[in-house]
Amino acid sequence: MIDALIPSWFTAAVQMADVAILWYMFVVNSFFALLLALAAPQLFAHWRFGSEDVLARSLTSSAVPRVSILVPAHNESVSIVDSLRSLLTLQYPYYEVVLVNDGSTDDTLQRLHDAYDLYEVPPAVMRRLRTERVKAYYRSRTWSKLLVVDKHNGGKADSLNVALDAARFPYVLACDADTLIEPDALLRLARPFLFDQKIAAVGGTIRVVNSCTVDDGRVTDARVDGRWLSGIQTVEYLRAFLFGRLGWNLLGGNLIISGAFGLFRRDYLTEILGYATSTVTEDFELIVRLQRYLKEQRKPGKVVFIPDPVAWTEVPTSVSVFGRQRERWHRGLIATIVAHRAVLFNPRYGAMGLIAMPYFLIAELLAPLVEAIGLVITVLCTLAGVLAPGFALVFFATAYLFGTLLSLAAILMEEVSFHRYRRPSDTLRLVFFAFIEPFGYRQVTVYFRLKAFVRYLQGDHTWGRMKREGFGGGQSAGTPVPAPPL
Amino acid sequence: MTFHGLVVALAVEGVLILSSLLGLVLLRQHLTGRARAVDAGVRALEPALHGWLVQGTDVRQIVALLRAQTPYVAFRSVARLATPYLTFERQQVLAPLLRDEAWVRDMLRHGQSRLWWRRFDAARLLSIVGGDADKDLISALLKDRSPAVRLVAIDAAARLGGQLVDVELDGLPHRQDAVQAYQIAALARHPRPVAAALLPRLLPDAPPEALNAWIDASGALASPEALTRVRTLATHPRAEVRLHVARALRRHAEPDTVPVLLALLADGDWRVRAQAARALGALRARSATAALAAAVRDRSWWVRYRAALALAQIGGEAREELLAVTRGEDPLARDMSILVAGLSSAAVVEMSEV
Repeated sequence: MIDALIPSWFTAAVQMADVAILWYMFVVNSFFALLLALAAPQLFAHWRFGSEDVLARSLTSSAVPRVSILVPAHNESVSIVDSLRSLLTLQYPYYEVVLVNDGSTDDTLQRLHDAYDLYEVPPAVMRRLRTERVKAYYRSRTWSKLLVVDKHNGGKADSLNVALDAARFPYVLACDADTLIEPDALLRLARPFLFDQKIAAVGGTIRVVNSCTVDDGRVTDARVDGRWLSGIQTVEYLRAFLFGRLGWNLLGGNLIISGAFGLFRRDYLTEILGYATSTVTEDFELIVRLQRYLKEQRKPGKVVFIPDPVAWTEVPTSVSVFGRQRERWHRGLIATIVAHRAVLFNPRYGAMGLIAMPYFLIAELLAPLVEAIGLVITVLCTLAGVLAPGFALVFFATAYLFGTLLSLAAILMEEVSFHRYRRPSDTLRLVFFAFIEPFGYRQVTVYFRLKAFVRYLQGDHTWGRMKREGFGGGQSAGTPVPAPPL
Repeated sequence: MTFHGLVVALAVEGVLILSSLLGLVLLRQHLTGRARAVDAGVRALEPALHGWLVQGTDVRQIVALLRAQTPYVAFRSVARLATPYLTFERQQVLAPLLRDEAWVRDMLRHGQSRLWWRRFDAARLLSIVGGDADKDLISALLKDRSPAVRLVAIDAAARLGGQLVDVELDGLPHRQDAVQAYQIAALARHPRPVAAALLPRLLPDAPPEALNAWIDASGALASPEALTRVRTLATHPRAEVRLHVARALRRHAEPDTVPVLLALLADGDWRVRAQAARALGALRARSATAALAAAVRDRSWWVRYRAALALAQIGGEAREELLAVTRGEDPLARDMSILVAGLSSAAVVEMSEV
């Protein structure tokens, strides 16, 4: 009866769309499987290198590169003292920390003054990049590694550019003020330099700190948050870092080095005029621009990811904050791919133009559109009787199990390599969240990513607000931080 | 793509998911068990090691304890404890006793394995127990296709004293900076044979890239003979070489070095001037105070920075000079001197080092 009411062109169109979506799913999932296959042996290699005491010894010698850690901070008074303390006590012989207070309206600067005994110094830096005006430079009487720059608000990218100008060393590590870097993370991040590689940038793993025990700016007990939103994000982060980015090392290099934790050659960043202030995902845009620059100028330098250097970050626990973050990430992805569309399918850029950028266009940028269209068509057609319910069920089950399989593979890789979550209950939680991720979480993500298209078309370049809870068990902000033993 | 195709994919996914869950349980048990065995091995070894190092008990107890373990546990235990506890000299005592143990011979056979991680383990073990008989294997591992194996082989080569020095010094210029620095640090454990091998290489007509690496090695060794030869290269036509000379001479506390560094402080290349200022500070060269005070007014930021730090490092009258600059007319020199004069003495030392 219903069949008779549906025009034949509609049935044909729906069938074509279904076949297209099936092929899309097949191609994208096959690519994920390829990334997984490429990541596994690399993960094994890094685990073996990283667990060897010989590397720890080698890296504490004068062989490691000098590094300036760049920390932009805007209204971070809740966590700034803890974060900074963890940065100032890294196991690394030669580094400095350049913290930029980006016009905070809370008491971030005052807390820094109280905790680190700051005093104003003249602006003895070489200015190479155009930025918002700097108000003052401060050094600490207790921590000689620390330089604090106070400036007018100009956004994260602008702050990173100020820090880049103030940095003394040939390599810079960009990290977020709410990120806790593990004590040996910088040593591990420097490992590719000892392997005779020409490096332009190195990225490490970001893990979710929610529910972990943090003492003195260090994660002392890694836990998986029991709340669904942060719990699922924990699995998502494992998946993204342990095989997503690792796989890209062998496919033309990474296009994402997390803005929360990435090491760069400073001269290259300066040559490409630092971070772009007009984008909302300055980390992705920077790597695309850097990779493009390296190709165009025929300069040596790889962009690599290594899994064992770890930094911990707080993820959103409310749907509204999570939504703003994901919407912003996707808006930034759209803007970056549009801005660098000349690279797409362009053989001049090698694997970047033929594999990496097309992947980000097809499997990342278009994914929410395809997913939403597929969902709507399948539901409508099943209701209209055009699509067999059995077929729809098997289709969804296949998609569901494949996603779950990838998550389980990431958990398995974590368990056999770095094994950060010691309790069996935490592993069970990860498995549980891997199974429930496709129900609710995925659809919420698709919704916010679709919203990004609308806001991009409206020309919105704002970040949205991110509320911090602070790290559990840490020292209260404003308490003086004792100086290191001389 | 048919319905049946999807059903097959679904079935495969189901099997893989069940395998992953099973693998998760079994691998967790296996790896946890292995880690516990190594921890137990380390705990058993620690008292014997402590007894040997502190109370002078018989070192053969350690050898016997390791013999009682499985090869994997013995290797992991000794690798974990060797780095933090054993000085190079102590390793030289322990190595010949371990070298002919059956578990060591078994593991060293992996030095020619096709699997990189086995060669890696063999190289690691050689860095603890390697002896004269292993010269050829270490020499091969130094040229291994895996960079990780090559890196660990550098430590193994260091154990053999002067025997592989020429191989290492010739390979030095072809390494990246970080690997070069690592190799130089390993070579510095045998200063005499390395210095002797360096002397004939430190010639003005040597290829500049190689010369730079060998000058750096001389600086790391702090060998007076090698650095005296390095000093003669201060007038080399290549600025890059003069830069390395200035940097290396900060380890050469000889009266004749200061005039050479003062000449380099007037070099046309700002990088050379900055390193010369740094070296004069490191040598606490009071006679360089006036020249360093003038260098605080240099047009290059780095020279001003290094010169100001050098004045602070020298202290006394030099610090007074630095304070005088804070009240001077030159705004750039004033800013730099205010920045450095405000630093604590610990901060001055730390910032001068890097």
